Amino acid sequence: MSDFSRRHPGAVAWLLLAPGLLYLAVFYVVPTVQMFLVSLQTGSPGTGYQQTWNFANYPAQISTYWDEFVRSVAYGGLATLLCFALGFPLAYFIAFRGGRYKSLLLFLIIAPFFTSFLLRTISWKIIFADNGMILGPLKDIGLVPDSFRLLATPIAVIAGITYNFLPFMTLPLYVALEKIPPSLLEASGDLYADTRSRFFRVTFPLALPGIVAGSLLTFIPAVGDFVNAELLGNPQSQMIGNVIQAKFLKAVDYPAGAALSFLLMAAILAAVLVYARLAGTEQLYGAKA
Amino acid sequence: MSPINTQPTLEGMLETPISRRRALQIAAAAGAAAFLGGTSAARVVAQEPVTGGFRMATWIGYIDVGEDGFTHPSLDRFTAETGIQVDYQEAVNTNEEFFASQLQGPLSSGLPTGWDLIVLTDNMVQRLVNYGWLEALDPAATPNFQANLLDIYRTRDWDPGNLLAAPYVSGMTGLGYDQAVTGPLTNIDILFAPDYAGRLTYLTELRDTVGLSALRLGFDPTTLTEEQWQASLAEVKTAIDAGIVRQMTGNSYVNDMASGDVVLAVAWSGDIAGTLVPEQAEGQDFQWTLPDQGGLLWTDNMVVPKGAVNKAQAQVFIDWYYLPANAAEIGAYVNYVVPVLGADQAMVAIDPALATNTLIFPDAAMIERLHEFQSLDLDTDARWTAEFNAVVGL
Repeated sequence: MSDFSRRHPGAVAWLLLAPGLLYLAVFYVVPTVQMFLVSLQTGSPGTGYQQTWNFANYPAQISTYWDEFVRSVAYGGLATLLCFALGFPLAYFIAFRGGRYKSLLLFLIIAPFFTSFLLRTISWKIIFADNGMILGPLKDIGLVPDSFRLLATPIAVIAGITYNFLPFMTLPLYVALEKIPPSLLEASGDLYADTRSRFFRVTFPLALPGIVAGSLLTFIPAVGDFVNAELLGNPQSQMIGNVIQAKFLKAVDYPAGAALSFLLMAAILAAVLVYARLAGTEQLYGAKA
Repeated sequence: MSPINTQPTLEGMLETPISRRRALQIAAAAGAAAFLGGTSAARVVAQEPVTGGFRMATWIGYIDVGEDGFTHPSLDRFTAETGIQVDYQEAVNTNEEFFASQLQGPLSSGLPTGWDLIVLTDNMVQRLVNYGWLEALDPAATPNFQANLLDIYRTRDWDPGNLLAAPYVSGMTGLGYDQAVTGPLTNIDILFAPDYAGRLTYLTELRDTVGLSALRLGFDPTTLTEEQWQASLAEVKTAIDAGIVRQMTGNSYVNDMASGDVVLAVAWSGDIAGTLVPEQAEGQDFQWTLPDQGGLLWTDNMVVPKGAVNKAQAQVFIDWYYLPANAAEIGAYVNYVVPVLGADQAMVAIDPALATNTLIFPDAAMIERLHEFQSLDLDTDARWTAEFNAVVGL
């Protein structure tokens, strides 16, 4: 074997990569190419689909569903920010103050995942019912008007997305914060750093890779989410995921659905590239662990 | 590796050990012979008694349930009487999902779907008829169906002669509401008024929602013209844009009504009686009304998809269902309209209260106010669906 690897230096690496590459090729590349071809077809299930290379499909879909695209990016972005606002203190607390209870606290973050995504979202309908366990007492006291509601609003959709993706943000943050050697923090104290500058000049820059990872893991699926908008939203708060689902299942318009899927991918890719440029570079903060 | 069989005699075969490859070949040949023999036996339908089994896909809650909550006494009785096994699957969640996941792929390639009997709503059945993806029922093999089908179903322009679809249950679309909150309601206008803004829902089925809008404007959904469609849809759009409509829902409006978030809905008749009323809490009083302007009548039909292997067995079940006693037994559980002549008399023996329940056996006055949504050709279906989706934000 060592003889083989000497004569074919790169071959071993390729052989090791081969299963993963094959998996990617079969389950990702081929379906993506096929979907791209579908997006350029015209027709219907009854008359059949013809490959007409209908590139005009793309501008048509953008102009028709521009609002939904913007709304999806906005909802996904807001949910990511909220996840960060909630997840960072959580991860910080567990990493630095968790002590003996670190594993238990991490488990508590993951525990909701043992129930299905759908059930968790439906449970919110029960918790936030117009006269349920939260709004009911508030309305009785008079803190909120009787006609107030949380469900079937954009707020509920964003809150639902935040809740469902919080672990995706918290866990990478925890991993990044946990890796910071306490000695670095002690050293900064020796160099006359107070708590505030220690946080902003040592802890936060070292946690940046975790922040980037968590943000990507949260933002990318959140933009394409449709379950929360369907269950917790109203007709004015539908996201692009709902539109794509309707195209495939209700309207049976596969070329439109495929084109919208690719446009969604492109939009997310653009956003992610910009973000990675801005926030992902170590040189930006001169931080190196 | 297989030894070459140079002695093709019985003794030779017994002496030569059968290799694994040869055994697989024999098994394949035997299986093919059995398959071919089996299908040809199934095609010799008419006079010979049919045995075997068939696969059925239908909706949740469309069959009686025994004491243990799992068995279906009526199906057991069917198997005992006919000797045919029923593989009963509650596989239909929505028409579109079932079509997309189970039917569109195989049928567009000319392959069998694996299902022998499917229960689908009118609009999806019309689509299948337009594609030519349904097997015609044999009148000679389904005499009960031909004799006992109620008259209102005999004039369907998309199924002349009633050869393609056998109604299983019908439902009515009208007003569902909590009378304790709203008082008695009888007019479609309330669905478009701001009285209960934010606490009422429409259905994602365009035939139900826009159908009621059309009735409110005085149009007949059975003969809706393009202008009437646009006018009815515009009314729906106005109501949605004004924020009157809380959500567009499928069956889930039932849960919202039970929790009190929704007090008024475009509702299906059986949901109120069968699902909400039994579980209603103190201070709730769920009602379903057929509005003054009328309501929609829709039907879930038994159809046999093209290429179904056990079509004969499925036909036996259809015919068995159209015996009044059997339809009544199932109808007592399902709480929807039974399309079988004489089932109301048969129901007296099962549950006299249900025999006079107008939600299961609508009287003549109700039948006059019930309208089936017109059948649409594929182009109009696609166009109207797209326009409706745009109005509801999709």
